[in-house]
Amino acid sequence: MDAATTPEDRETLTLARVGVTHEGADRATPSDVSFTVRPGEVVLLLGPSGSGKSTLALAMNGLIPHAVPAELTGSIRVGGMNTADETVARLSTRVAMVFQDPDAQLVTGTLLDEVAFAPENLRMPVPEVLARSEAALRRVGLWERRAENPDRLSGGGRQRLAIACALAMGSPLLVLDEPTANLDPAGIEEVYAALAELVADGDRAIVLVEHNLDAAIGFVDRVVVIDDAGGVVADGPVGPVLRERADELHALGVWLPTATLAALRLRDAGYTLDPLPLTPAELRESLENTKTPAHPAPPPARTSQHPGTGASSDSIIRVRDLTVRRGRTPILHGIDLDVEAGEFLAVVGANGAGKTTLVQAIAGVVPPPRGTVRVGAVDPGRADVATIASQIGFVFQNPEHQFIAHTVFDELAHGLRRRGLDDAAIAAQVSDVLRRFGLEGREQTHPFLLSGGQKRRLSVGTALVAGAPVLALDEPTFGQDRARADELLHLLDGLHRDGTTVIVVSHDMQLVAEHATHVAVLRDGRMLAHGPTAEIFADAQLIAAAGLRRPPLASVFQNLPAHPALEGIVRLADLPAADTQPADTQPADARPARAEVAR
Amino acid sequence: MSAVDAVARTGTAAPPAADDPYAAAPPASAWRFLMALNPLAKLAAPLPAIIVLVFVRDLMTPAVFLVLAYTLILVGARLTARAVVLLLVAVPAFLLVLSLGFGVWTDASRISHDVVLLELGNWTLYGAAIETGLATALRLGAILALSLIAGLTITGPDLARSLVQQLRVPYRIGYTAIAAFRFVPRFGHELEVIRAAHRVRGAMDGRGPIVAARRRLGYVVPLLAGAIRHAERVALAMDARAFGAYPDRTERHLVPFRTRDVVFIVLFWVVSAAILWLLYPWGR
Repeated sequence: MDAATTPEDRETLTLARVGVTHEGADRATPSDVSFTVRPGEVVLLLGPSGSGKSTLALAMNGLIPHAVPAELTGSIRVGGMNTADETVARLSTRVAMVFQDPDAQLVTGTLLDEVAFAPENLRMPVPEVLARSEAALRRVGLWERRAENPDRLSGGGRQRLAIACALAMGSPLLVLDEPTANLDPAGIEEVYAALAELVADGDRAIVLVEHNLDAAIGFVDRVVVIDDAGGVVADGPVGPVLRERADELHALGVWLPTATLAALRLRDAGYTLDPLPLTPAELRESLENTKTPAHPAPPPARTSQHPGTGASSDSIIRVRDLTVRRGRTPILHGIDLDVEAGEFLAVVGANGAGKTTLVQAIAGVVPPPRGTVRVGAVDPGRADVATIASQIGFVFQNPEHQFIAHTVFDELAHGLRRRGLDDAAIAAQVSDVLRRFGLEGREQTHPFLLSGGQKRRLSVGTALVAGAPVLALDEPTFGQDRARADELLHLLDGLHRDGTTVIVVSHDMQLVAEHATHVAVLRDGRMLAHGPTAEIFADAQLIAAAGLRRPPLASVFQNLPAHPALEGIVRLADLPAADTQPADTQPADARPARAEVAR
Repeated sequence: MSAVDAVARTGTAAPPAADDPYAAAPPASAWRFLMALNPLAKLAAPLPAIIVLVFVRDLMTPAVFLVLAYTLILVGARLTARAVVLLLVAVPAFLLVLSLGFGVWTDASRISHDVVLLELGNWTLYGAAIETGLATALRLGAILALSLIAGLTITGPDLARSLVQQLRVPYRIGYTAIAAFRFVPRFGHELEVIRAAHRVRGAMDGRGPIVAARRRLGYVVPLLAGAIRHAERVALAMDARAFGAYPDRTERHLVPFRTRDVVFIVLFWVVSAAILWLLYPWGR
C-alpha cells in the first residue's frame, strides 16, 4: 500500500517496510513489516519471541529511533505524521502507549495528577485538563480513587491507571506492549475488562502485543503475525488466521490460545474438531458435539506426574505451626505443610497471601522460629548459611540481586569454598554446573554482563552447586516473556526429573497446572489446601475462595459425559496425542532456547 | 485555579498515608501560618541568621535563635507525632550529649580554671569547659532548628514546583525530580531484598567495620543496575506522555509567592538583625 496516496483520515497507522536494528545487533528484528491500522480497529500483533514485537511497538510512537538507540528503515506514519521527522512529544498526540511494568509509568503523587500529566505537558487549559482526566479515570473505573497515591492500587489497578493516562492524551491510537505480563490473574482480568469496555466504545484503534491470548482473543478484530525473520506472514481477521493456519503458526513458535493448543492435540489424536476452537467455551461445545474416535490414542498415564505418594515419613520438608510476623503484622498463621522428596510444588495465592514469606521461611532467607521448619535434617531457624545451602537453594525473583562475585566462576565457587573444598574439587564441580546449565565459556564473564536467560540459569546453578536436594524459586517467571519463562521451566522440569524437589511461587495458573505435581493454596496467611495439582484445580470453589482463577482447560474437561477419557484433565500434556507427536506441546519446546535475542 | 483543584480533590475516600510525600495537605487553621507560606520563603528567611550563627561563640545568641525557631515551628507548623518527638525529645537529648561531649574534649589549657565541677585523679572538669561545650551544642542546635522551619513544613514535590515556578528552573529538571521521589521507597525495598539475598548466599560473613563496609559496597552494583533500568523505563514512559513538548506546561498546583511570603522574609530578617545587634559581639 502506498502511504502517500492514502487519505490521512482513513488511516490511523501505516507501517511500510519497517525494519529496526538495535545498537550492537547484527541483524534487523523486525526486518520488513508492512500493515495498516484503520480507525477503531483492534489489532493483535503476534510472533515468536525475539521477532521484534515490542520493538515495533516502541517504533510506533517514535521512541525508536528518537529515544532508544536503534536504526529505523522503512517508514511509519501515524495520523499523517512521519515518525522519523517528528518529536516523540508531538507524536504522543497521535499514539498513546501502555507499557509492561506498571511501576515504571508513574510520575506524580495522585491518580488525578498522573492522568493530568500528559494534558498538562500539552499545555491545555486547566478546565480541559480536568475534564479529560475525569473522563479517562471514569472510563477505567478509578475516578472515586483520584486523590490516592498510585502506590495504593493493586498491580491491575495501576495498569488501568496507565490506560487512563493514555486515554487522557486523546490520541486515536493506543499501543499496549504486554500490558498484563506483570500481573496476577485478578489483575489480568481487571485490565482486560477495562480494555473490553474501551473496545466496545469503538472510538480508539488499538494495537496489542500480548502473549496471554486466552484473555485477549475475545475482542480482537485482526491478527498480524510476524515470523522469526521479522516479516509479516499472516494478516487478517482472528478467526480465519488462527483457525485455518494454527498448525503453521504453532510450528513458527507463535503462542496460541490454550484451548486451541488442546484442540490441535486432540485433533492429532483422532478427534474431529472443526472449526478449530479458540476459547475454552468453544472447545467444550465442539467436544460435546463430537464423538470419541473409534481408536483414540490413549492419554498418557497421568499418575506418572505424582511420585512420592507414600507415607509422610519420607517428607523432605516439614513445617509445623509456622507463624511469621513482619513488625507487629502477622503474615503467616500456623502453617502446616509436608513436602515429599521428588515433588514439584507450586505455592499459589492472591497478592499478599504470604506465598513468598512461606517459601523464604522454608529456605531460611527470613529465619523461621526455631523448631517450626525442618528441611532434610536441618532447622533453617537454627542452622548457619552454609548448612542451609547444602539442603535447600533459593532463587530470588531478580537473579541480579543474589550475585556477589565478579566472575561466573567465583559466583559458583563461592558456596563450595565456604565448605572448605580443595581447589581441584571446586574446579570439577563448577565445570560440571557450567556444563549442565549451558554456561561453558562464560567462566570469566561478570555475572551482570550475561544475557537475561544466562543470568537466570546461573542463579539456579549457584543455588544447586552445593548439592542441595531442594530448590525454591520466588516468582521465577514474573515479568518475563513467554520464551524465557518456558526455557526456565524446562530447566526446572529437567532438575525435577533428575530427582530435585522443586518449590515455586507462581501466579500463572496454566503454568502451575502444566508443571507442578502438587499445589499449596494460601489465603491471608493461612493454608487453604495442599494436594495433587489435578485435585486442587478440580475444586472450582476452592480456587475462587483463594481469589485465583482456574487454568483455562479446567472448566473444559469437567463433567464432560461425552468423553469419559478426558474427564478432569487440566494439563495439555495429559491430553491424548498422536503416537508420532512428541509429548511436548508448547511451541517454544520445539525450538532451541533463544531468549537471548529478545531484547 | 487552586479552587478548581480543591473542588476536584473533595470527596476523597481514603486518608493519605502518613509517609506519603504527595498526599494533599488537609486545610490548615489560620494559626498554622507556616503551612501557607511558599517553600522558598521558608528557606530564605532563616538563611542570614544561619550563616551568622556559624561565627557566634556565646551562649545567649544561639539560645535566642533556638527559642525563636522552636516558637515558630510549634505555633506555625502542623506537626506529625514523629516530628513532635524529634523536636521535644530527640533534639534536646542530642544537644545534651553534644554539650557534655564537647565539654570533656575541650582543651583545658585554653580556658578559665575558676570553677571546678569534677576531679578524677589528675583530670579536672572545669565549668568553663562545659560552657564551651554548651555554646557549641547550642550553636548547632540553633542552626538545626532554623533549618527545621523549612524541613518540617515543606514537601519535596512542593519545593520542586516552586523552584520551577519562582526560580525558573526548567520544568524538565523540576518534574524529573518529582518523579525521582517515587524512586526512594522502591529502592528501599530493593535494598532490603538484596541484603536478604546476599545474606542467604553467605556473602562476606564476619564482623567489624571493614567487612561491613565491603558488604555494603556489594549492594551497590545490583542496586544501581536496577535503578538505571527503572529510570530508563520511566523516562520512556514520560516521553511517551508528551513530557517536554513545549518550553512550559500547564500548572494546576500553583505554589504562589504572595505578599505574606515577602512579609515573612522581611520580618524574619529584621528580627534576626535586631537580635544580632543587641547581642553583639556574640562572645568573640
